[in-house]
Amino acid sequence: MVRASLLAIWCVLMLARVAGAQGNYEIQVYGADTVAPKSLMVELHSNYTPTGQTKVIGGVYPTNHQEHETLELTQGINDWAELGFYVFTSEQNGHGVQWVGDHIRPRVRAPDKWHLPVGLSLSTEVGYQRAVYSPDTWTWEIRPIVDKTMGRWYFAFNPALERTLHGPDVNQGLGFSPGAKVGYDFTPKINCGFEYYADYGRLGGFDSLHEQQQQIFAVTDLNVSPKWEINFGVGLGPTAATDHLIVKGILGRHFDWGKRSAVD
Amino acid sequence: MTSRITRRRFGQLSGLAAGAALVSPAMRAATAPDIALEIAPYTLEASPKHHFKTVAYNGQIPGPLFRMRQGQKQTVEIRNASSEPEVVHWHGLFLPPEIDGAMEEGTPMIAPGGTVRYSMTPDPVGFRWFHTHTFAGKDLTKAQYGGLHGFVLIEPRDAPGAYDREVFIGLHDWGGHFEGSDDGAMSPVYDVSTINGKMLGFGDPVRVKQGERVMMHVLNSSPTEVHWIALAGHRFQVVALDGNAVPQPKTVEMLRLAPAERVSAIVEMKAPGKWVMGEVRKHIQSAGMGIVVEYAGVQENATWTQPERLIWNYRQFSASNKVLPIGDEATRIELTFDSKFEGHGSEERWRINGKSYPDTEEPALKAGERYRLVMKNESMDDHPMHLHRHTFEVRQVDGGGPEMTGLRKDVVLVAAKSTAEIEFVADHPGRTLFHCHQQDHMDRGFMMVFRYV
Repeated sequence: MVRASLLAIWCVLMLARVAGAQGNYEIQVYGADTVAPKSLMVELHSNYTPTGQTKVIGGVYPTNHQEHETLELTQGINDWAELGFYVFTSEQNGHGVQWVGDHIRPRVRAPDKWHLPVGLSLSTEVGYQRAVYSPDTWTWEIRPIVDKTMGRWYFAFNPALERTLHGPDVNQGLGFSPGAKVGYDFTPKINCGFEYYADYGRLGGFDSLHEQQQQIFAVTDLNVSPKWEINFGVGLGPTAATDHLIVKGILGRHFDWGKRSAVD
Repeated sequence: MTSRITRRRFGQLSGLAAGAALVSPAMRAATAPDIALEIAPYTLEASPKHHFKTVAYNGQIPGPLFRMRQGQKQTVEIRNASSEPEVVHWHGLFLPPEIDGAMEEGTPMIAPGGTVRYSMTPDPVGFRWFHTHTFAGKDLTKAQYGGLHGFVLIEPRDAPGAYDREVFIGLHDWGGHFEGSDDGAMSPVYDVSTINGKMLGFGDPVRVKQGERVMMHVLNSSPTEVHWIALAGHRFQVVALDGNAVPQPKTVEMLRLAPAERVSAIVEMKAPGKWVMGEVRKHIQSAGMGIVVEYAGVQENATWTQPERLIWNYRQFSASNKVLPIGDEATRIELTFDSKFEGHGSEERWRINGKSYPDTEEPALKAGERYRLVMKNESMDDHPMHLHRHTFEVRQVDGGGPEMTGLRKDVVLVAAKSTAEIEFVADHPGRTLFHCHQQDHMDRGFMMVFRYV
């Protein structure tokens, strides 16, 4: 009995961590660029979990066969800042389409005039998600972002730190959830590569590998137009704490506010 | 098997071999040259907060203005006190390739510490210029990025001059760094833009008097950028492009100058006040590209009137808009411009007919024959194409419309995804360089050489 309870608590903690990192709601390694001022980026993140958690644990819905649609709106503030807003939803047999939560995400970046050899920005995100999707209902994240393009290669690294503000993990301190990406330009329009996502657990006391979340995605980015962002990928999670198979897609479109004159 | 010499390697070899041996101190002391140039390190103060370490001609940016009489021989002495091999290109002049100033044609480089001396006969009449013609690559402080340029005015033997005075205006951009652009290509962007080496508000104003007719000789010496220039409260009567009188002078609100282009325009000073002459696009003027034009006796703040549109076309200055038959006597040379993708993090290679310099074709020209270059630009960029040692006639731009006549230039901007056609008479035998005047494009292979047979 005690063993079963401990297992249930462990599962809840794992699920909480997924939600805190936006888990399979927004699966994306951030580049350092921010959205230009007077323009809005609208993205739809569509993620499906063919093979995931199948049991209801601690009142949290299982992830298996969940379809997640996340709307992300990012408004450029100036040449070095933007503000993002998320609406998370989930669709699943037996539960229908449900609202999961909202996050808000301000971000700043190193201005071009600093002439840094790498792209550098810092994002912070705070938000709420319903307890049936995550026991930790209020979470906060800070995400440094470094990226670099070298010839046909693109590299990005997001060593994110997370904290629970309300929920069972509120006393757990900071968790370490890095993301990384490497891509290669096969043509001007087609970039293929890999994305890596992980949750190592609490800073200063990482979980064992078996209990960590580890995901690797094979991804394709299509640079069909400066107006559009298209990303598609298939991810595998080899550890017990990770959904084993996820399919993800991102469709984004830039919109300019107002008419920009040729003399601006 | 023949080995090809790259631009960079050619410069190293010829610079070491040629420069130092050409002039001895005794020779230098014997006679003073008509034109003396010293290339030496220099720090430009664009404003008290903006300094750029570079090299300059005779310790100034822009370099000196040389006035010459057409056909009157000039002795030239160039001393290279910089740490890099140098070469001086006399842009728009009909000079032999040995002194035109392009190593691709055979002009020897001047080694660091070396001096060269030669004589030249200035021709044709008009507003020309001189500038470095070296390789910059990824170093956006070198070559044309560094601002090595000066003005040349070749005057006819009798010059009545329908104006009261002349003003020389040089546009330049500084502090360049590569950034990915919307189309995925890498292009330089700049921190600072200047007129005559100064940001708006930090240089001496152009002082004028009411009623004067001022001839403005405007040069765009920017390494890569097209510029749009207006003078608040005034209009420009364009009388010459690239130093050559236009068949139809026109009065316009603003000037557009691609890199290396020149416009000579008369401005009637009939609006007393203090005005800004500057870049029409707000973000470039705010980076400094402007100069104050000040009427005598006026004490007020400078005024700028923001145009709402960018307006310019070559066609308005040509002689005729009527349909003319394409001259059968001109031999057509078809040239297709495109680029080879090297990744979003690298600068692309530029190609003419599928090849980059030094592997580009070397079309053969016969002296006295007329040629028509049909330039099909398949790329997403505009290209200011320059033909050395010759003047050409612009016959078609933007891929359509009636044939143009009488518009003679040495640089033409070929718009992205369009075709432009020019004609020239092969009347200056010798190797002749043809290239995009954007420094980053020529550095990445956008050049070819015509040879005479």
